[in-house]
Amino acid sequence: MRPNFLHHLHPPTIPARQARLRYTLAAGGLAVFLSLILLVTGLLEMFYYIPTPDQAAASIQTLTFLVPYGGLVRNLHYWSAQFLVIVTLVHFLRVVFTGAYAAPRRFNYLLGMGLLVLAVLLDFTGYVLRWDEGIRWALVTGTNLVKSIPLIGNALYMMLVGGTQPGPATLIRFYGWHIFGLALAAGILVAWHIFRVRRDGGIAVPPPPLREDQRRITRFELVRREVLAMLLAATALLLLSAFAPAPLAATITASAPVSETARAPWFFLWVQQMLKLGNPFFWGVVVPLAVLVLISLIPYIFPKPAKPELGRWFPKSNRLAQAVALFILLAIITLTLLALLPAS
Amino acid sequence: MRRYLFLAASFSLLLGLLITAWQESRHPKPIALTPTLTGKVEYCLSCHGDLPEISKSHPVQTFGCVLCHGGEPLALDANLAHSTMRGGKNPSDFSVVQASCAGSNCHSGTAEDFRNHIQRATTSIQATYAGAIANIRYTFGVQPDLKARLGIFSVQVSQSTSGITALAAFDPTQETNPYVKAFGQNCLTCHLSAQPLPGSEYFRFTGCSACHTPTQSPDRTNTEQVQSSQIHKLTTSISYTQCDTCHNRGNYDLRTITFKPRQDHPADRLHDYYQPIAQFTSCEWKLDCVDCHTRTEAMGDGNLYSVKKDIQYIQCKTCHGTLTDLPQTRTLTDPNDLAFRLATLNPVIDLKLGDTILVTEKDEPLWNIRVLPDGTYELFGKADNQRYVFRPVKGSACTQDPARQDSGSCHECHSVER
Repeated sequence: MRPNFLHHLHPPTIPARQARLRYTLAAGGLAVFLSLILLVTGLLEMFYYIPTPDQAAASIQTLTFLVPYGGLVRNLHYWSAQFLVIVTLVHFLRVVFTGAYAAPRRFNYLLGMGLLVLAVLLDFTGYVLRWDEGIRWALVTGTNLVKSIPLIGNALYMMLVGGTQPGPATLIRFYGWHIFGLALAAGILVAWHIFRVRRDGGIAVPPPPLREDQRRITRFELVRREVLAMLLAATALLLLSAFAPAPLAATITASAPVSETARAPWFFLWVQQMLKLGNPFFWGVVVPLAVLVLISLIPYIFPKPAKPELGRWFPKSNRLAQAVALFILLAIITLTLLALLPAS
Repeated sequence: MRRYLFLAASFSLLLGLLITAWQESRHPKPIALTPTLTGKVEYCLSCHGDLPEISKSHPVQTFGCVLCHGGEPLALDANLAHSTMRGGKNPSDFSVVQASCAGSNCHSGTAEDFRNHIQRATTSIQATYAGAIANIRYTFGVQPDLKARLGIFSVQVSQSTSGITALAAFDPTQETNPYVKAFGQNCLTCHLSAQPLPGSEYFRFTGCSACHTPTQSPDRTNTEQVQSSQIHKLTTSISYTQCDTCHNRGNYDLRTITFKPRQDHPADRLHDYYQPIAQFTSCEWKLDCVDCHTRTEAMGDGNLYSVKKDIQYIQCKTCHGTLTDLPQTRTLTDPNDLAFRLATLNPVIDLKLGDTILVTEKDEPLWNIRVLPDGTYELFGKADNQRYVFRPVKGSACTQDPARQDSGSCHECHSVER
């Protein structure tokens, strides 16, 4: 069989272990697949979305309810975005819990961290584009958080919001970031990230002399597995989107105050919960950034994973990094659950 | 093995696509309506196409749904579409009536001819309940006189012939007298913002719809109850049974400060009449309340009053005159006369230019009563469409002193036995 275009995107053969589902969890591949769905559905949504405060929510309602299969497209976009954040996190945890970030993959780990941040920012900006009653927290608390930063806060707020309060300039800026700024950066980083995966020798496994399993698979087999995973993922995504509609709220009414019960989007609930502790700059900006810096530095400050232990879960050599990641994960999950509790 | 897995996955995706298409086909088919008044498309009729037109004055092609009800015009998801509706099912509730029914082109028009209906209704004694509140507080020594100070909600008027320009909100929890507290708990069920007592005989909406949406059959013997969810109607043809959702349903007991519902079950109109001990004449039980009582009596005249008697002024003599005087009349010469507009809204009478109608002491047109050439009068029932003919007192055998025209005096001779 002659390799086609898709086959040529892959190396002729790779170690079988690199393509093992229980090692990779298919998280990286799923992230690419979800990104492609997001790109296609996002482009379709752009035909209907009107990025002005008085038209945005109405245009989304038009797309959702009145355009044939428009609701499905929006649901696919929404669920792909939520799962993208989740599989990116899973991908990150897999890399930490298997020690795969060890040199020479330290730089690609940083590219990956950049993609994690971009996935969250894209999800957040996309959520703001709804411009309905459901995004009030983001519009008020979220943007005010920027103001709390000393010295540059106000200037940053003006850059982000485009005025002294959220309005048409804010929406068009979020739209610009979402469809262009962040998406372009993400596209470049994805390509770079994948390029670095190949440049760094594929997915982390021990060097050839230390490998227990010397089997290899061809690019034909690899593509087959990828297509299989895509078929299954597409089916799941389709059924979810057919039956679980993406959230939508009433058209925003000017000057209504942000209510106590207004919630952040789910991926920022942990930040919202921390904000209840006091100083918004410390809990809302310093702590989340410190967490980001800490996990970004994992390959540089913690003991190096041992080469023979690569390609397997929970190697002994990097237990400290695993413990730190686990602690942060549990803390974020706990804060999120606390935020979901009904206010007493 | 791998091939079967591949086939199965492809098949599952195909099945997923079919299920998605099936699910899409279950969505309601959008039915667009662009009302001429708003010019903005709305899709409420996708689900609510079976609702009858609410009234001839509010055709759906002109008004649509959203102008009055609010809501999300484009949403085909019931929860979302209904999430921003004003006043739930009833946009005329006084908490939202300004947004729903008001507007200088709608029901808060000019003060001329008392056309600011929203202002009138929300300051009326049926809305403020100021009379009952003042009476109870005076009776139990909380205030020194019967002058109204408090209402169901706080309300101001710029000027008032009654001298009362503002009422503060009545808050039973702030009252110290136990009777007034109990009144606040047990007796606030009959003002226009109050939810009615449980029971189909009490059932009505709040706000404008308390009177203008018929929740009761005009025929008391018709035991078929209208389902609240199916009433989509506004009318000026208001049957006595609608008034009876508050009036005529029992009494408040001043000793226990509770409402005592009437225990009888009247089978005919005669025995349905108000208090069991009251005296009344045939027109008081044969006609509907609105046939005599005018719109300012029911809906107020824009002033704040302390007691019902301040606004209710129709007497027997308004239609029948006295021994010395005929009732007041007006010959219709102006095609813009208010009488024509009212007769258009509830077309029970074919008023023409040149017709002479009765008017009240305050010059309100009794537009459903016309003077006949022989000096008698014809009245068309606003709710029952019946024609009644009656005579003036003048020239009859009546010997009543023209200075004593309260209903009790007339009832001495003219009362119905039952």
